[in-house]
Amino acid sequence: MSTEPVSASTPTRPVRHFVMPKTLSGKLYYWRFVIARRFVQLSVLLLFFGTVHWGWKIAGKPLLSGNLSASKLLDVIPLADPFAVLQIVCSQHWPILEAFIGAGVVLLIYILLGGRVFCAWVCPINMVTDLANVAREKLGVRSLIVVSHKVRYWGLLLVLLLSFLLGVAAFEWVSPIGIMHRELIFGIGVGFVAVLGVFLFDLLIMARGWCGHICPLGAFWSIIGWATGQVKVAFDNKACTRCGDCVKACPEPVVMNFKNLESDGMVRAGECTNCGKCIAVCPENCLEFDLRVRLGKSA
Amino acid sequence: MTSLSRREFIKTSIAATTAATVGLPVTKAALAQAKAAEAGWKWDKGVCRFCGTGCGEQIATFNGKIVAIKGDDDAPVNRGLNCIKGYFNGRILYGEDRLTKPLMRMKDGKFDKNGDFAPVSWEQAFDEMERQFKRVYKEKGPAGVAMLTSGQSLIQEGYVAAKLMKAGFRSNNIDPNARLCMASAVVAFIQTFGIDEPANNYSDIEQADTMVLWGANMAEAHPILWSRVTDRKLSNKKDIKVINVTTYSNMCSSIADLEVIFKPNTDLAILNYINREIIERNAVNTDFVNKHCVFATGPYDIGYGMRPTDKFAFEAEKDTQKKQLVNKLDKYEAIAQRRPDMAGKDIEHKAAATAGAHWHITFDDYKKALEPYTLDFVAELAKGDPDESVADFKKKLQQLADACITKGNLMSFWTMGMNQHVRGVWVNELVYAMHLLQGKHGLPGNGAFSLTGQPSACGTAREVGTFAHRLPADLLVDNAKHREFTAKQWNLPANTLNPKIGTPIMVALRGLEDGSVNFVWTQTVNLFQSTPNSNHWLKAARKPENFLVVSDSYPTLSGKVADLILPTAMIFEKWGAYGNAERRTQVWRQQVEAPGEARSDVWIMLQFAKRFKLKEVWGEQPLAGLKEDGYPENKLPNVLEEAKKMGYTEDTTLYDALFATAANKKVAWPDPIAKGAKNSTVDFLGDGWFVEKALFEEYRQFTVGHQHDLAPFDKYYDDKVRGLCWPIVDGKETHWRFSEGHDPYVKAGEGFNFYGPLMKAIPSGNLDKVTDPTPKPLPGKAKIFYRPYAAFPEQPDSNYDLLLVTGRILEHWHTGTMTRRVPELHKAAPTSVLCMHPADAQKRGIKHNDVAMVESRRGKVKMVIDTKSSNKMPKGSVFAAFFDEAVQTNQLVLDAADPISAEPDFKKSAVKVTKI
Amino acid sequence: MKEINRRQFIVRTAQMAGVAACIGVVWQTMVRGEARAAANALRPPGALPETDFAAQCLKCGQCVRACPYGTLSLSSFSDVAPVGTPYFMARNIPCEMCVDIPCARVCPSGALDAKFPDIEKARMGIAVIDEENCLSWLGLRCEICHRVCPLSNKAITLNIVERGSSKHAKFEPVVHSEACTGCGKCEKACPTEQAAIRVLRPEFVKGKLGEHYRPAVDGHFQTQTIQNNTDIAPEYKPTHKQKAPGLEYFNQELPEGKEGRP
Repeated sequence: MSTEPVSASTPTRPVRHFVMPKTLSGKLYYWRFVIARRFVQLSVLLLFFGTVHWGWKIAGKPLLSGNLSASKLLDVIPLADPFAVLQIVCSQHWPILEAFIGAGVVLLIYILLGGRVFCAWVCPINMVTDLANVAREKLGVRSLIVVSHKVRYWGLLLVLLLSFLLGVAAFEWVSPIGIMHRELIFGIGVGFVAVLGVFLFDLLIMARGWCGHICPLGAFWSIIGWATGQVKVAFDNKACTRCGDCVKACPEPVVMNFKNLESDGMVRAGECTNCGKCIAVCPENCLEFDLRVRLGKSA
Repeated sequence: MTSLSRREFIKTSIAATTAATVGLPVTKAALAQAKAAEAGWKWDKGVCRFCGTGCGEQIATFNGKIVAIKGDDDAPVNRGLNCIKGYFNGRILYGEDRLTKPLMRMKDGKFDKNGDFAPVSWEQAFDEMERQFKRVYKEKGPAGVAMLTSGQSLIQEGYVAAKLMKAGFRSNNIDPNARLCMASAVVAFIQTFGIDEPANNYSDIEQADTMVLWGANMAEAHPILWSRVTDRKLSNKKDIKVINVTTYSNMCSSIADLEVIFKPNTDLAILNYINREIIERNAVNTDFVNKHCVFATGPYDIGYGMRPTDKFAFEAEKDTQKKQLVNKLDKYEAIAQRRPDMAGKDIEHKAAATAGAHWHITFDDYKKALEPYTLDFVAELAKGDPDESVADFKKKLQQLADACITKGNLMSFWTMGMNQHVRGVWVNELVYAMHLLQGKHGLPGNGAFSLTGQPSACGTAREVGTFAHRLPADLLVDNAKHREFTAKQWNLPANTLNPKIGTPIMVALRGLEDGSVNFVWTQTVNLFQSTPNSNHWLKAARKPENFLVVSDSYPTLSGKVADLILPTAMIFEKWGAYGNAERRTQVWRQQVEAPGEARSDVWIMLQFAKRFKLKEVWGEQPLAGLKEDGYPENKLPNVLEEAKKMGYTEDTTLYDALFATAANKKVAWPDPIAKGAKNSTVDFLGDGWFVEKALFEEYRQFTVGHQHDLAPFDKYYDDKVRGLCWPIVDGKETHWRFSEGHDPYVKAGEGFNFYGPLMKAIPSGNLDKVTDPTPKPLPGKAKIFYRPYAAFPEQPDSNYDLLLVTGRILEHWHTGTMTRRVPELHKAAPTSVLCMHPADAQKRGIKHNDVAMVESRRGKVKMVIDTKSSNKMPKGSVFAAFFDEAVQTNQLVLDAADPISAEPDFKKSAVKVTKI
Repeated sequence: MKEINRRQFIVRTAQMAGVAACIGVVWQTMVRGEARAAANALRPPGALPETDFAAQCLKCGQCVRACPYGTLSLSSFSDVAPVGTPYFMARNIPCEMCVDIPCARVCPSGALDAKFPDIEKARMGIAVIDEENCLSWLGLRCEICHRVCPLSNKAITLNIVERGSSKHAKFEPVVHSEACTGCGKCEKACPTEQAAIRVLRPEFVKGKLGEHYRPAVDGHFQTQTIQNNTDIAPEYKPTHKQKAPGLEYFNQELPEGKEGRP
């Protein structure tokens, strides 16, 4: 457990580490971001589920019909997975306007928020991989294979190339994300085995394997909004003791580069999913969510 | 659509998306597209290139190409329908290897019999042709040259060929491949009625109550007629009867009410049994018979049309060839021919030379002759399926007799099964007898209808008379009055024409072998693949003293053994006319141009005619064996003096004398009847006269007033006309001949008049011989013949134990020259297989689809064995078609022939099949 | 250091490319395997041709939700259709042929034509009758398919035939592909153990005459078909590698059959 070399500008302070609170309220406070995230993730699924199975409507319009691949809010606002639309276009098919509008709306949202907000706050697979991670740490399983986190960018390229060659949206054909939300909303089928596969992969084969190294959708979102996403994790260098607990907690440790944090004043990397684990765990409260515009100068 | 190929995706997403998502059935979308494209097409009428049915077509051309073919809705023959070959009439012109240049065997820039083929100019080709022709002509006279033409030649081509050979070269050695197809039928017509060609027409199908097929696979050979027969049958399943009398079960059996499988040649016995029953059951139409018929018979021991000497026979075939002179009489023949004591004994076939002779007999004699043909006798003799019991077969024969002896309308149909037959003339005559005894002929729904195989065997070969013994319109070369009439029509000096019958096709080919014929010119035929015992002729063509010219449009096997190959224009690349089986003459204009230097046969012959001056041909000519009144012995006289008096000079060319006559040159080109169509023949001839029309009109003069009346040329080109059935008198067609009210040549009150003039005075005698040689005339009467049962010569034995039948299949025409170049047809039947009973195959250790060696005394070929064919052979019999050049079926076939008609019997050769 | 890094970089890059290729191979096998929709997995009305449909569908399930009868399902992995795409199996639950076509209306991707004009023009499949197992064809009285067909007497007609031996006519149902939408109500209602009339996607049923044959609709006997030669090149000339076609052929040896010639 090497710690970063202490910079000359860092005042010498005793290094504290995170300690799990004993009280329930303390625990809940620690888990505040997880709770928020699960709330959002499940609410989204529930909105879809309720619209399909329980006919949820507002003013006679179906509330949220469809799933995370494409949907319609109140029969008016289309939403669509821009990565899926991109693959379809690469496969030399031209979807109709509604699909482009939907993709545009979603892109806009994430360009403003930050691409990988999807990964931590919406994507249902995140629940699976987080669970696998907890189990892995509890059981002390070490990674069988380690690959660079950059593999997913190659994956992204491969997806687009295969889509072109095969004439179908290559990732959509096999995506466990799609399988999970489709089958949760429309009915569990044999495909749910793929979800189990992701769980086992993250548990036994590669730590934070899927979300952190493989998923091309994650790679896509890492790129979207990289320069524009407003929700960022701000860093107070003065308060930081370089204890490293944030690095241990972060599912994308590559973004926790103290040199960059110091110069940027925030977690700039697109790979940051805004999951809030670092914020929750920091014993010195150096990290908190803020808007990029306010962090302007060194951004 | 499960393929993920890039192109597929692009195609479907762009092209089919529109149609599919809008939900229109794709055909409608395609149709809309098509209608737009069709706007520039020009449609004109025409005929199908293939069988004798003679379906009407509409041909569309655009930018100098035939772009579409459709069945002609207005054609009474087919009413817009086409069989699978007919659909491809537009494609047969566009094979990749269409011949476009004359090709000749050359070495060092000159013709050499052993040289390789090289392209030459037309000039060079004609030069060599002229040189070779004159060499042979000088040496052997008119008997040494031969022209072998076709039942697929145009009427005009047949006419030019016949006139050129007979009037020009004074040779009767012109014979069509119709000799191989209809000769027996022709002779039977002439012997029975005194005139050629059927008395009925296709509409009789729609009026028949009982239709009998005699050894004819109509479903595959005349598909459009078969669909009419089937429709008639379905219109009243209970009362309409279709009977398939055949040597093997074929596609016609599917709707037949009765299938009778008989042993080859026993059709003679079966018909005699039926005729005997007609008399037994008192079903003879005595009124009709007494008024309009006489009884006749002829000699029995007429041989089998083979050579009388074994000099040229292969070693293995000598035992068969010997039978031409002496053959053992089997026990059935002995009983049938009323000489039971001769059973198993040798019979000398002394009457081969006078095979066609016949004489009057009495009705009592006729009855006596039929005596032996009892049900028991015929059942035992004729049963063709070894797996069928005699009792069952007897029942079938009775049912057949019951069906044929009827008060209802009776039609009989046949083609090659009864024509390609060593006793083909006889069996044809027996069917006529069956109909004449009951007075069922030449009337609506009633008749014995001899179907023609080729598209213009009637119109060209028979009507124009491109035979070794004929002149136009049923005239005969050996009849002085006919020659006189012809000479007048053709403006010839007396005794120009050769009165001695020339060489039928097989005799001409044998001539190549025995040296009596050295120059042969074939047109629109592939004889070296289609004639029986072809190994002989393939070798003979290559003999150094022989010169073989082959005119054809595609490379054929005949071309391979030829010395000079001339590229010809195909149907629709020239103006033309065909006459089909129901005497319907149909015409077409030229639609497109022939490729390269291919030219019409008429142009080729006219150009050749320019090479000969009268002094080279109308001088004295040797003709061995000529003994005729008015002619010197053994030669044709010099007629030049008389020619000069008629206005010819010694140096007048045959072209000017015979074709570019004053009358013909008056027929001008262009002609408004063309409606813009081209005429390449006229253009290349460069002489300004409408060749096809002038020659047609000249030929037509033979027919008018002679019971063959054709209409004027222009009438056939009328937009509303879809051919016309002759005789056409006072503008009206004739659909039934010889009967009152239908035939303009039959006068009111006559009832029937079999007005054919030929052989209408014959001697009288008894069943065995002539007793009174004075010819007794029988004006207006038809002959009811007694002909005995006779077996075919090459019976299967312990060595060659299977009987080979050959024939055609639906997908291919003849030697496949045209149809094998249509990918769809070739794919459907890529090779000629040997159809065999599965037990026969198993006995020889052969499985379905194995390649086996098929061998006869005359050759051997490898063939694929088919035990699952729709031709279900009885045990002991096998079937093969002859369209496949790689499978030379005809090398196996015996060249025995009907001695009267000289038509070979392609249906009875002994072969053996061994596993390879 | 720099050289090692560069070499390492090249090696690493090659390794990555190799891994990507291997993964690509496995992936495309999976995709290809998934790409086959079973012949009786019918698509909603107004669908693009199958391969385009499967590629363009966003698998959002809005059409599934929109169907008032719950006819459609999204396919699962290794199911009868590419994963996530909507389909229905007629024998289980047929399409009720809603006039307003709510399923197609909501499709955001264009895989279903949102503007599809008329449900009767849909071609989800074509019904095919097994005459050997159809009660009506066997001579019993049924004709339920004809009765439940929403386009009765257009998509399914009855061919009434004299029976001959008995006094009772036969009523033979016949499907007409130019009217059948493939809704599957016939297959659902067919009373035999395995449906004797079943709906298959059109590409599994329809033949193609080919460019050469076109029915000539203007003929009175409806027997004409046009044999179309327009595919032959406009400047048709017989191809010849030498100047004279047929030369090569004529200068070859005589074909098969030479042996045995004495």
